[in-house]
Amino acid sequence: MNNFGVIEVASTKTKNAPGWAYVPDNGPSLAAAALQPANRKRAARNQTALSISDVSARQDTKIRKDLEALDRDIHKDANITIPPKPGASRAQNKHTPNVRKILQSQKTFANHLDDYQALLLQAETNPAMAAALLNAAQSKAATPTAVARGSPAPSASSASASATPAIRAPTSTTTTTTTTSKRSAALAKRAAAAAAKESREAAAAAAEKAAAEKAAAEKAAAEKAAAEEAAAKEAIKSEPEDPSSGNDVEMKDAPPTTETAETLSTATGTPEAAATQPQAYPADGTILPVYKKAPPTPHPGDTDSLLVSHVPPFPSDDELRALLTAPPLSYLEARAGWGDDEARYPVRMFCEVCGYWGRVRCIKCGARVCALDCLQAHREECVTRYGL
Amino acid sequence: MAGGGKAKRRSAGPAPPATTLVIDNGANTIKAGFVRDVNEGDSDQTAVDGPRIIPNCIARDRHRRTFVGSDFEKCKDFGEIAFRRPVEKGFIVNWEVQKEIWEREFFDSKAPQKCDPSETRLILAEQPNSLPALQAHCDQMVYEEFGFASYYRGIGPSFNAYQDIQGIFRTPRAPDTIAELPAEVILLIDSGYSHTTITPILQGRPLQPAIRRLDVGGRLMTNYLTRLLSVRHFDMRNDPYIVNEMKESACYVSLDFKGDLEKTWKGTRGERRKDYLTGGGIAKDYVLPDSHTRFHGVVREYEPGVSARARKGAISTEDILTLRSERFVVPELLFSPSDIGMRQPGLADLVMQSLAALPIGLWPSLLANIVVVGGNSLFEGFVQRLQTEIAQRMPDSCTVRVVRPEDPITSTWHGAANFARHEHAGKLAVTKQEYEEHGSGWVARKFAMGLGVDS
Repeated sequence: MNNFGVIEVASTKTKNAPGWAYVPDNGPSLAAAALQPANRKRAARNQTALSISDVSARQDTKIRKDLEALDRDIHKDANITIPPKPGASRAQNKHTPNVRKILQSQKTFANHLDDYQALLLQAETNPAMAAALLNAAQSKAATPTAVARGSPAPSASSASASATPAIRAPTSTTTTTTTTSKRSAALAKRAAAAAAKESREAAAAAAEKAAAEKAAAEKAAAEKAAAEEAAAKEAIKSEPEDPSSGNDVEMKDAPPTTETAETLSTATGTPEAAATQPQAYPADGTILPVYKKAPPTPHPGDTDSLLVSHVPPFPSDDELRALLTAPPLSYLEARAGWGDDEARYPVRMFCEVCGYWGRVRCIKCGARVCALDCLQAHREECVTRYGL
Repeated sequence: MAGGGKAKRRSAGPAPPATTLVIDNGANTIKAGFVRDVNEGDSDQTAVDGPRIIPNCIARDRHRRTFVGSDFEKCKDFGEIAFRRPVEKGFIVNWEVQKEIWEREFFDSKAPQKCDPSETRLILAEQPNSLPALQAHCDQMVYEEFGFASYYRGIGPSFNAYQDIQGIFRTPRAPDTIAELPAEVILLIDSGYSHTTITPILQGRPLQPAIRRLDVGGRLMTNYLTRLLSVRHFDMRNDPYIVNEMKESACYVSLDFKGDLEKTWKGTRGERRKDYLTGGGIAKDYVLPDSHTRFHGVVREYEPGVSARARKGAISTEDILTLRSERFVVPELLFSPSDIGMRQPGLADLVMQSLAALPIGLWPSLLANIVVVGGNSLFEGFVQRLQTEIAQRMPDSCTVRVVRPEDPITSTWHGAANFARHEHAGKLAVTKQEYEEHGSGWVARKFAMGLGVDS
């Protein structure tokens, strides 16, 4: 069937409304076929059973309805009126306008959530108007420092700084996670590497600075473009080296390519000596104070490279500050996400009758059952619901 | 820390109220109690009268009698009972009902926990990621309707940090150690009636970007059990209370789901497997209440043939249900919600999602200090299963410790009570005068800020 290259995608959305429904239009229309039977021969064959997409749409709707039913508090809508208090007269019936409004509100949580979403959407499309409307919601998110709490100076800087580390943090974590999972074999030497990482970062910064200086010098020699390219190349080069050099413990052994390597090795020299101390906190950490108590008594096995445990580098104070001052997520943002990671494994299916694995699918409605016994039981229900 | 309270007291003009009412307003039950200063001179001397657990609902039984809040104790016949709850999805939505319950419990002349709001400080635990409108409603009700002298609304899970967490873990330490509050770092999993939340907490402050919520809670599981029973046994849809009792007493978290499921299968057509006939150690008989002699259900060991005879009418006095896979399939929803088609990850995966929002340097300390609270953590095997599942997702060398406080239901309340005695409470609470001066938006911002960084 040539459809001029257009591929029809069956929609799985169906809408529930009394009396009628949107149904994805795919396959021969039964109603039209009944009016104008084009070919009476093999009519039974043409009146196909439901297509796969139809079955799955039906299943989807069923799941959705089931979940809604499960989420409800009560089976039936109980409208219980509040009983009058025994003996107590309702003396004070005067409420403030706010309270009266709240008490009379018949809104459910779903209503409130919709209102909030609408408000957020409005804030996105028309910030000026929304800013006037929003008072609590937005100012909370935007200016946590506006509160007159007498908190000292750094709060302002932390608020402004919160944006950048928040963006930076996830990338760093992901790279480290992948590398850690790959490197579980090289566990033993990691502690030293971890301690060295901080210094490495400093070294990388130093290297970049040095490269910039070099670039400036070359700029003076009127080779502007080439120098910038070189600097950029070096910056790029120094970056991918980072994770790989995490595997190797000794940074000193890295091949000295440029003069920056010299600064690199000198920079790593001192902290590597310090790496033997079991200190993972940054010394100036104010959020989590430095461990002040006496370290545990040394053990002869401490130096054994096979027993050394790896502790990932502790986040910097700024990072923690940003985390602590971050505004709360909205209700929907905090909901557990369903990403590709979760969809990696197929969903488990269970028999709808007895609860064992659903190994057989009903042809008519797509329900899962375990074996013939349950299929028989299901058929009876299926026939009453959908007809033969 | 002890001195902080006194200094605060001297510096602030009027002394803070000597009584603090601490409420953990759950969707199913309210946990409420007082923290009082015993000695007026010394603020360290406080007395805590433990929380009272109050059903947070208006219930109506089949004789059309209604019970509000703790009246519910008088109810004996739980068949066909209907509830109206003020809290929806963990948040107070219907203040008409909530006000009625609070008034009867705390403010009326004959209230069981009577107090005068104008001389009381209120500390209220709320669920994280609330809607601003609902928070504003709550603040307005507290100040304008009840008129509490001072008030703090904090995230419930973070109150748990004000407990001796290492004591719960039984971490080896010097015998005379006094736990410093709040605990440095914990990962708190709160699995309650409405949902399950994961909150990493650093020094008593929640790490907001990493808070995650799984929409599986006690209610969903009860409803699911109701559905399973209605398909396989009786129609229990009008008896949520009975089904809930059954869930609490009979369900457990399976440590070997596949194996257990295999044991409860009857087999193919005509076949009856041995494990199915003998029960396989999983099947249990549940004797339903008959609301004449027995008001609560009873779990019994499975006796082959009893329920069949009961169904035939040989033993007419008891209604017996045989629970097989229902026992572990229901709590399994916490670990794999996709079993009922929910597009959400299980609890262990959710922990990973929450951690992914944090720098990797925090992971080891969080993973070694996982605390589970809330009624669902009482399922047998819950803690062990969670620990295994999280450990499976982590490198071998990583320490994963999961622990449940002795009473996970009141744990948040006890934490909040400790918080009330801590200097942080004085810092965070807002008085009625301040509310009247600055308005509700200011209060909401201050509560949202929490402790901030520098303190």
